[in-house]
Amino acid sequence: MAATTIATEAKTTHSTSRRRRSVEGKPFFAVAFTALFFVLLYVPIVVVILFSFNSKKSLSVFGGFSNRWYVQFFNDEGLQSSLRASLMIASIAMVGALLLGTMLALALERVSSRPARAVGTVSLVPLVTPEIVTGVAALLFFTGLGLKLSLVTVIIAEITFSISYVAVIVRGRLSSMSGEVEEAARDLGCTSWQALRFVTLPTIMPALIAAGLLVFALVFDDFVLAFFTTGVDPQPLSVRIYSEIRLTISPAINAVGTCMLAVSVLLVALSLVIPRLFGRKDSSLDLISGG
Amino acid sequence: MSTDLQDAVAATLPGAKRQSATRTRLWGWLLLPPAAWMIVFFVSSILIVVALSFGTVNANGRPAFGTSLANYQALMNTTYLTVFIRSLVYSVTTVVLCMFIGYPVAYAIALHGGKYKNALIAALVIPFFASYLIRMYAWSTLLSDEGLVNQALHTVGFTDGVQFLNTPGAVVAGLVYGFVVFMILPIYASLERMDIALIEAGKDLYHSPLRTFFAVTVPATRAGVLGGVLLVFLPALGDFVSAQLLGGPSTFMIGNLIQQQFFESQNQPLGSALTVVLMLALLVFMVFYLRATQRQNRET
Amino acid sequence: MTNSNSAPEPTVRRRDFLRGSLGLGAAAALAGCGFSGDTPAPAASTSPSGSAAPSESPAAKAVIDGDLVYFNWAEYIEPTVLEGFKKEYGVKVIETNYDTYPGMLAKMSSGNQYDVVLPGARFVEQLRNQNMIQRIDKAQLKNANQSFGWGSYFDNPWYDPNSDYSIPFSMYTTGIAYRKDKITTMTGSWADLWNEEGKGHIYVLDEADEAMGMAALLLGLDVNTANPDDLAKIKDKLISQKPYLRAYSTDDINNLAGGNAWIHQEWSGDFLNFINYTAEDPKIWEYIAPKEGMPVNSDAWVIPANAPHPGTALVFLDYLLRPENIIKNIEYLGYPLLAQGGEATYAKMVEGRPSLAIDLKNIDDTKVYRNHTPADTAARDTVWTEVKAS
Repeated sequence: MAATTIATEAKTTHSTSRRRRSVEGKPFFAVAFTALFFVLLYVPIVVVILFSFNSKKSLSVFGGFSNRWYVQFFNDEGLQSSLRASLMIASIAMVGALLLGTMLALALERVSSRPARAVGTVSLVPLVTPEIVTGVAALLFFTGLGLKLSLVTVIIAEITFSISYVAVIVRGRLSSMSGEVEEAARDLGCTSWQALRFVTLPTIMPALIAAGLLVFALVFDDFVLAFFTTGVDPQPLSVRIYSEIRLTISPAINAVGTCMLAVSVLLVALSLVIPRLFGRKDSSLDLISGG
Repeated sequence: MSTDLQDAVAATLPGAKRQSATRTRLWGWLLLPPAAWMIVFFVSSILIVVALSFGTVNANGRPAFGTSLANYQALMNTTYLTVFIRSLVYSVTTVVLCMFIGYPVAYAIALHGGKYKNALIAALVIPFFASYLIRMYAWSTLLSDEGLVNQALHTVGFTDGVQFLNTPGAVVAGLVYGFVVFMILPIYASLERMDIALIEAGKDLYHSPLRTFFAVTVPATRAGVLGGVLLVFLPALGDFVSAQLLGGPSTFMIGNLIQQQFFESQNQPLGSALTVVLMLALLVFMVFYLRATQRQNRET
Repeated sequence: MTNSNSAPEPTVRRRDFLRGSLGLGAAAALAGCGFSGDTPAPAASTSPSGSAAPSESPAAKAVIDGDLVYFNWAEYIEPTVLEGFKKEYGVKVIETNYDTYPGMLAKMSSGNQYDVVLPGARFVEQLRNQNMIQRIDKAQLKNANQSFGWGSYFDNPWYDPNSDYSIPFSMYTTGIAYRKDKITTMTGSWADLWNEEGKGHIYVLDEADEAMGMAALLLGLDVNTANPDDLAKIKDKLISQKPYLRAYSTDDINNLAGGNAWIHQEWSGDFLNFINYTAEDPKIWEYIAPKEGMPVNSDAWVIPANAPHPGTALVFLDYLLRPENIIKNIEYLGYPLLAQGGEATYAKMVEGRPSLAIDLKNIDDTKVYRNHTPADTAARDTVWTEVKAS
């Protein structure tokens, strides 16, 4: 056990794992395929951005540049209140999921009793459950208790299903961090709580940032769960988008989409920059992709 | 204070256990809030779904708990079996396509990305935070009968154009588009963790990049592939958005069926029964997955 | 008529929402009641007239008694009409919207208090039966003669005898829209939705009532039938249609605009809206009133039993019935408003398209969608589910 831990440690700290020399001979197929993949991935993004500046109210004919859809978006009280609702939901859900998910990750990594393992398994179930199941469950839970659906119920549901993501990402980071550093701190006189605060938490900070940003983005874009658990106005933005898409030709939607894209670019950039501010070399993206 | 003394003493004793009593207790306390939350909001919500599946719709059209098997009996109908099999077919196709698309992409980034690796992963991840609905809406306008793609096809001679939308193919394409990143990331992660020397050794042994790939790389990344399969297959099975936006008259999936019962038919008990059946199917597949990974863990 | 219509363009059309699939329906429908199966208690205790069954209490008087709490589809009243009301009477309008009728019902049942609500005909009947709306004293409305007394069907509609509890607002029919430049073999019957020329470009509305109603009319059956033999025939008919269909969809305006639809089961108001505001070339589009009959539906204003300001509500309804406001609303919505003042306006809007003409004196109420018993509802619903799933 210790040997593999040391080996993993060596790997993660040794520079060759980060700057490995590439395999000799670039296979044309894989690279070309990947290029095609990225093109297809970004085609709708380009379309959305382009047509968000369309002067015509059309989604297939581009008539020239205009910012009328952005003006419409920013003046649309309904869309704006939905945007505010979504931002609030995502922020609160992020904080809640971070708190509970980190607690869960710390506990699962250090406690190996059977109840703990059971909780660990249960906490992974939301990750692989189709959203319709989680949506239905959340809906029936709240209404079965006679609770009125509101932004609070949306937030509770979103936290419940985000805890898994946080736990997985933080656990990934924790498992590559050996417990010996904590032990050393405690040998030097720290209490468990101090060891946690001053040693463990700073070490897993990139994971927390990555997990937090991931949760924010997932919750902000989440549609299915919000769809089931929204009751009163204002609806979250994703549910509004769903309604608009299904009911009207709405080029203003492209303006909304472009703004959301800008926000997501910002979030990803943050997740790359912030760990470096803490002087860490590993990037949060590694944690998301390695999680 | 005394507990810390205990720890200090315990730590100096020969053969002292790595986990001291206090330490376990702190982590134990940390387990309580999330465990309580999960039990209250997740586990009990699933239980309510199960409970309502035995319920009925009362005279005012409202759902009521009960002890009736009528909903399950109603499900024993070839219609529902058709929908279930169709969903399975779509999901399996989606997984296979995701594997064939995802593996080369993950491979190219992991082993040939060089210093652009992080940028490429970022470029991969960014679109998935920009609203699946809006992206699919853009695709559906591009691919509609008089959209840009068909206009282009007209100019090169396909006067009839191609019907891309409202077909099973469109539904599967929508599923792949939505879930492929969940296949790419785990494979990428396990490629990153793999020791590159293995590939070099394999090349020496097999003298062919292709054989090396199948004999060395793929088995070494089996965990990643299995993880990707799980993360794609299970959610795809219950998806309803793709079929609703892109589907035709005969592409109804389980997810659509459940959504219909809840929102159009207002028959929540029947919808709950459907959800329970879906959950049981998922459980079966989960068990298969766990067995497969356990077997792998034993081997490595 | 080109796209440059001067009236403000409604970005949301009521009919687009008349299906329960937008989430708020079930969600709100279950809110505040648990699964005890109890009937929601009519909020009698909060009615301003207090005491017994609210529908029996003395009707309110048409005087302003506070702000207007308004509950309706989004953008369903011409904006300047609403503004005019606020200015003239110096009151605020507190607006909330629903986007499904079940959602509307649920919010009303869970204790929310509104002054005016606009339910569909079927739901007016349900609200009446649950004692949730109050009687409207026509004598209080100076413009009542716009709606009543000139021979309109809605003097005594099927959902509210003598319209004692409601003021009829708008109506629509369901027919078939098609492209003249693509299809030349239309026969003016519901069977046109099985047209060979249009195979793969035909849409049917994704609503149980509409799809089953269409099949029922084609088979010569009652649109509301729940007879098992009838239902079996309807099911087979609908399944036979699937090879011709492009999709089931209520997005009837977008489908026409996007070019995928050549034949579309279509709501009359949406068709009018499409050719007036969205169509690139309105001339290629035609609307058929099928010879087997067209389903008809309407909605009506009601004042909830627990309305906090029923006086203001009455003043508002009276204001809406002024001829100039009726005309403005018709032009905004594209639906014929059920008032005498608007008939000429609507007739002008549908000039040249007789299939869209509506004669308010001759409404065939065998073709309206009615309420069912729970057993019948379940039977009909099973048919629809099986059709969609197959």
